[in-house]
Amino acid sequence: MRFGAVEAVGGISLTAAAGRATALLGRNGAGKSTTMRVLAGVVPATSGEVRVGGLDVRRERLAVQRLVGYCPDVGGLVPRATPWEHLQLAARLRRLGPGWEDRARDLLERFELGGVAHRVTSGFSHGMGRRLSVVLAAVHEPPVLLLDEPFDGVDPIGVEATFDVVADARARGACVLVSTHLRELAVEVCTEVAVLRAGAQVATLPAARMLGEDGAREYRSLLD
Amino acid sequence: MSTAASWTDTARREARSSLVDVGHLVRFRVGTLPRRTLRGGLVGVLALTAGSATVPAWVPGAGDPDGRASDLLLLLGTGLTSFLLLGVLAAATGGGGRELIARDHAAAYPVGPTTDHLGALLLAPLTIAWLLQAWLLLGATAYALGPRPLLVSAQVVVVLWLLAATAVAQLVGWTLEALRRGPYGVPLVRGLGLAVVLAVTGLVVTDRLLPLLDASPTTVVVIGLASTPGVRWALTVAGLLLALLVAVALGAVPAHLAARRLPVDEARAETGTHRARPAPRSDLAALVRLDRASVWRAVPTRRGVLVLAGGPGLVAVLGDLPWESVTVLPGLVASGAALLFGVNAWCLDERGALWRESLPVDPGTVFTARALVLAELLLVGSLATVALAATRAGVPTPGEAAAVVATLAVVLVQVVGASMRWSAAHPYPADLRSARATPAPPLAMVGYSARLALATTLTGVLFSLLARLPGWHVPLLVAVPMLCWSAARLVRQHRAWADPLVRARVVGAVAG
Repeated sequence: MRFGAVEAVGGISLTAAAGRATALLGRNGAGKSTTMRVLAGVVPATSGEVRVGGLDVRRERLAVQRLVGYCPDVGGLVPRATPWEHLQLAARLRRLGPGWEDRARDLLERFELGGVAHRVTSGFSHGMGRRLSVVLAAVHEPPVLLLDEPFDGVDPIGVEATFDVVADARARGACVLVSTHLRELAVEVCTEVAVLRAGAQVATLPAARMLGEDGAREYRSLLD
Repeated sequence: MSTAASWTDTARREARSSLVDVGHLVRFRVGTLPRRTLRGGLVGVLALTAGSATVPAWVPGAGDPDGRASDLLLLLGTGLTSFLLLGVLAAATGGGGRELIARDHAAAYPVGPTTDHLGALLLAPLTIAWLLQAWLLLGATAYALGPRPLLVSAQVVVVLWLLAATAVAQLVGWTLEALRRGPYGVPLVRGLGLAVVLAVTGLVVTDRLLPLLDASPTTVVVIGLASTPGVRWALTVAGLLLALLVAVALGAVPAHLAARRLPVDEARAETGTHRARPAPRSDLAALVRLDRASVWRAVPTRRGVLVLAGGPGLVAVLGDLPWESVTVLPGLVASGAALLFGVNAWCLDERGALWRESLPVDPGTVFTARALVLAELLLVGSLATVALAATRAGVPTPGEAAAVVATLAVVLVQVVGASMRWSAAHPYPADLRSARATPAPPLAMVGYSARLALATTLTGVLFSLLARLPGWHVPLLVAVPMLCWSAARLVRQHRAWADPLVRARVVGAVAG
């Protein structure tokens, strides 16, 4: 993936399986968010092959976007719209049938956003915005869930709710990809870990290998 | 004896430190601009300023004491007053003027209200409305006085008036903003606005507006600039310099007061709740609904539309504009409305652009929704202006009515097409929460407004000429090819939006 003269991501060969949660770990600028944007169909890959749910993202972008639930790394919210208006737009464009409203309300409550469902999001704190972004990514129960920095600035209740969303997704057989620089949270919620450095994939390991002090040492050695 | 610093020392120290800060911020802003654009823009503005201040003096009839030049000299005082009044209106609408650095970015740095005030003052001339009026006044002065050796001394007075009036307008703008943020501020400022409108309407109805304008103190300035350098000229220059310095210094006072108070309108917009509406029936309806919310809930857009819908219409009523001149207004209003967000239309989503781009929807529908919402905004402003103008212009002839309809349709498609083209070509991240925000950097805004004003004014003038012809069908026939041309460009832009590379570039830019 190139932006002009800069190669943001290159040399990633990653397969994320259904029913599993894979973490993308790496320092700032490692290429995690760019990879997630490519997978979500937001940014087209300049070279290589990207398949989501077996579909080529470049050729079948709309079909891929129907499969994916994406929580972007920055903001991800239209500032002068309310959470409910975001959900209504997503429901309409994703052709959600009857029952989506109950699911949406339930998710809002789990993320403690039920009380602000009709308030414009521009006044939301960073953590509230992150939590709503996870709700928007998960409301349609997508087969592929892409969460980019979902724990950034989020309080413990929000983190737990996100864990639940990931667990639910795995339980129904969805493929989950979590991009974060928070190793401890990543290993808690994911089964596998892919470490990126300077736009390239340097390792893919079972999440258990990244646990504790030993895991921290191994992670550091992969980053340097 | 007290050893504490006196308030004058403190004020002097703060003024000095604020001036230094403004220098840093200007260098920071300039550093983000491409050198060629900056150089080209500056050379263009300076060349046009020098040209407008000198060239009209050599036009036949310039300086003629018995001709049009003499009439123009008599009208110059009214022109100077109008410049001041429009400046006040702009500063009041803009909540104290534009920001040298966006509020969120400035939050991490010790940027004080005095720096903010001086920065807003520095940016005030960087609008096409300010520049056009300045060029008009300089040009009118040159034509009125003719090619005499001391034209320079007259233009010095005009330039000083432009600067002093801008500083006074800024002072009034900050004062109104401080009032607006105070207890019962919003109804108070709205009440003041209404009182001014009623007072001016009363003056028009009783035919006392023109005598009042003739008696305005700007006549003294005109006498000063028209006189040869001597005591009167020196007194005029000194008076204007003093007014400039005092207004700049005093402006910091309400700026500090406003900074200590919560921006009520913006706070209300950020915490506003909106009850759920039934689910939209189509993708387009869903997208339009969200886009419409983004436009009409933004404080700068709401205030801007209100001024644009009322201001030019009121001028038409006060000036008793005939229908053939009314054709110029829709273009000006549509241009102004496009500058509220249209020239960078995708910035409405801000950081939500990434999420929106991940939704499964045809990009063409997204483009159509955004263009429709923009067209709606332009139409509301333009129709309100024409409706206001109609109250004084009477019943139009079929030809005049056709010309107005044709102008409305042509400028609408022209402006929407140009805006959507620029939005895709030059996207900027913009935070439209602040009443002082603009969708693009100041120099870019000058470029956009100049191009929009030129295109729409030429269109308006063309239909104004056609309105004088017998038969209502001529304006409509002329409008058809113009509409086809503009519509074809809009369709081309619609197709270009299907390119994921174009969208990725825009989304990446506006999401910051």
